[in-house]
This record gives sequence, structure tokens and C-alpha cells, in this order.
Amino acid sequence: MNCVEFRRQLAIEPQATAADFVRHRTECPRCAEAQARALAFEGELVRALSVAVPAQLAEAILLAQTTAERRRRTNLRRASMFAIAAALVLAIGVAGMRAEAKPLSVQAVEHLHSEEEVLALTAPVPAAEVVRTFAERGVTLKQVPDGISFVAPCPVGASKHRSVHLVMPTEDGPLTVIYIVDQKVATAADFERDGLRGRSLPLGSGTLILLARTSAEFGRAEAQWRAAIAG
Amino acid sequence: MSSVSSKQRQFDALVRGHSGDLFRYAYWLCGEEALAQDLVQESFLRAWRSLDSLRETGAAKAWLITILRREHARLYERKTPQFVDVDEVEVADVREALTPEGSGEDALVRAAMLKLEVKYREPLLMQVVGGFSCEEIARELNISSAAVMTQLFRARQKLKAMLGGESNDAQAKVIVL
Repeated sequence: MNCVEFRRQLAIEPQATAADFVRHRTECPRCAEAQARALAFEGELVRALSVAVPAQLAEAILLAQTTAERRRRTNLRRASMFAIAAALVLAIGVAGMRAEAKPLSVQAVEHLHSEEEVLALTAPVPAAEVVRTFAERGVTLKQVPDGISFVAPCPVGASKHRSVHLVMPTEDGPLTVIYIVDQKVATAADFERDGLRGRSLPLGSGTLILLARTSAEFGRAEAQWRAAIAG
Repeated sequence: MSSVSSKQRQFDALVRGHSGDLFRYAYWLCGEEALAQDLVQESFLRAWRSLDSLRETGAAKAWLITILRREHARLYERKTPQFVDVDEVEVADVREALTPEGSGEDALVRAAMLKLEVKYREPLLMQVVGGFSCEEIARELNISSAAVMTQLFRARQKLKAMLGGESNDAQAKVIVL
């Protein structure tokens, strides 16, 4: 290393410890003096750059970090709880949709099974009670069919369709009539389920469903209820 | 639970070990004490969030300075920077820049340092405050080692020129890389 190279290295890294750098310094008194001046300047530089660090800086940083971390954990906990709640709502919604996905006819059969005891009733219900029950559901009857032994405003299915549940004893056994006020099927159809015969048909602004062991009385009952509801 | 507290302990050690140097580095980058404090705090918060990416404890200081420099760059994306062009700075300018309470040799050096262009100031800071080698500075600044050496050489020349010290004699004859 010559003097030019030494001075260049001195300006780049005054505290260099490379072997050729150290050797040149010991061999060249002028370069050794230059390094002494350079190191003195470095000392001044280090002292000047060592500005005072604010008191409690580390504590302030740690406080900010622990506060932020606690806030993050709280938010995370809230988000988790919200996610669980949302999942529950979704599950309930899906279950509800599945229940709702059942056809009205199936919901009507299930409702009949849940109130089978009323099939045994035979005493006629006053016509005024039938009129009043339909009126509660917002339906004005034009006339009241004969031979009704049970009438009640019932919620049907998971969606609790607004309905009127009736029983009409016949020679072939009890005939169940369910008039669903708030949902109307598109077309009439006969069906069979759980050993029961059934018929559903659009009537007025709702759906009339007939259920019995046989369909022998369906024609007559359908005519009666068409006259009562549609006029 | 134990992993969380171990992470917290690691972070505590980082803060207590490096916040002083990081503050000094930030101060000489931005020239304002309050801003430097904010920069350091924000940098440590970012460091906490990505602490898992720190693999070697020996690399902690360089890692923290990288985060700080990015944070400083973000700050300048939000604010219009006020660059100081210091091609020809005279000692008189430095003396005029001193505040009444700032006097003495240290104050002169500090005023000169703040007048130094960032491209010269930053490698010098990394070397003097950070204790980094030319290769480490080159990696951090994403420039060649030769460029770092040139900037360190010129940084010292300019500082000495501003302070009216030795800027000629043998050094003036040195060919800059």
C-alpha cells in the first residue's frame, strides 16, 4: 500500500485494521500523523452524533407496543365472537331454509301428525266460530260448509305459515282441511304421504290442502271450500 | 402462552438494546427530535408485528435500521421533503445555522452534519452510529461497495470543508473512486 492508497482508505474507514494499512502506517510517519488527525476528527464526529436519547424512550416504546397488542387481542377476541355468532346465525338460517324447503303438503301432513287428537272430534262447531277464525286470518268466508268438528288458527311448518286448521268427519273417516293464507301453490296436485292421501290446490290468495285416509270425499270438499272462499 | 411471553422478552431486549442507536440514527435522518422519537416508536411497532422474521440475533440492528429507513421513506411519501443542496457550503453558513444555545465544537459538527446531503449523510451515519462495514452499508442501501466508499470519502471531505478543517493537504490529491 502506498501513501495515496493509505489516505484514500483513511478517508473511507479511519479505523481500518487491514494488515497492509497497519503496516504502511508503521512505515510512514506522515501517514501515521494523518491517521492521528483523522481519528481525532472521528472522535469529535462520534461525540457530536451521540445526541441525547429522550428519557424513558424504551419504556415509552414498550408501553405503546403492549397497549397496541392488548387492543389487537381485544379486537381479535371480538372478531372471533362475531364469527361464531355469524356461523350460528348462518347454521340456523340454513336449517330454517332446509325446513322451509319442504313442500306445503309435507308441512301440512307433519302438522296433522302433531295434532292427531283433534281427528277424534265429531261434535259440530258453530258456523260463527268458523267465520271468526277465518276472519282472524284475514279471510272472509262467503259461506260455511257443513259438518266441521274442529277449527283453529294454526301456524304450520318452520315458517309458521298463517293457516286455518279444520276437521270434517265423513263416512270414510275424518277429513283434515288446512287453508294456508300466506302462500299459494302454482297448480293443484294430489299426493300420498305417511299412509294419507292428499290434495293441494290454489284457492283465493292461499292454498287449500285436504288430507284423509282415502280421497273419496276430496271432490265434494274441494267444491264446498271453493264456494266458501272464492265464491 | 409461554411462546408469547418469550416473544415479548425478545422484543424487550431489542428495545432496550437498540432504541438509543435507532433514535440517534432517526434524528440524523430527519433532524427533528420529536419526529425521530415517533419514527423509532413506529419502527419498533412494525418490528414487533414481524418479529418472527428475525432469524439471527446478530442481524437485529441491521434489521431494525432497515425497518426505520422504510418508515422514514413512508413519512416522506406523505410529506414533501425539503432537500438541502450542499454542494458549496461555507463555514459561515454552518455557524449561522447554529442556535444560540447550540455552541461549541459539537454544535458546529452537528450543524454541518445536518447540512450534509442525505446520500452522504446516511452511509456515514451507518458507519459511525450503526457500526456497519462498507459491505453491510452497500447491502442496506442497495448500491455497490465502491459507491459506498466514494460516498464515505466525500462525506468526510465535505464535513471537514464545512468545518474549515483539513480538506486539502494530501487528501485533496486523493483520487476519488
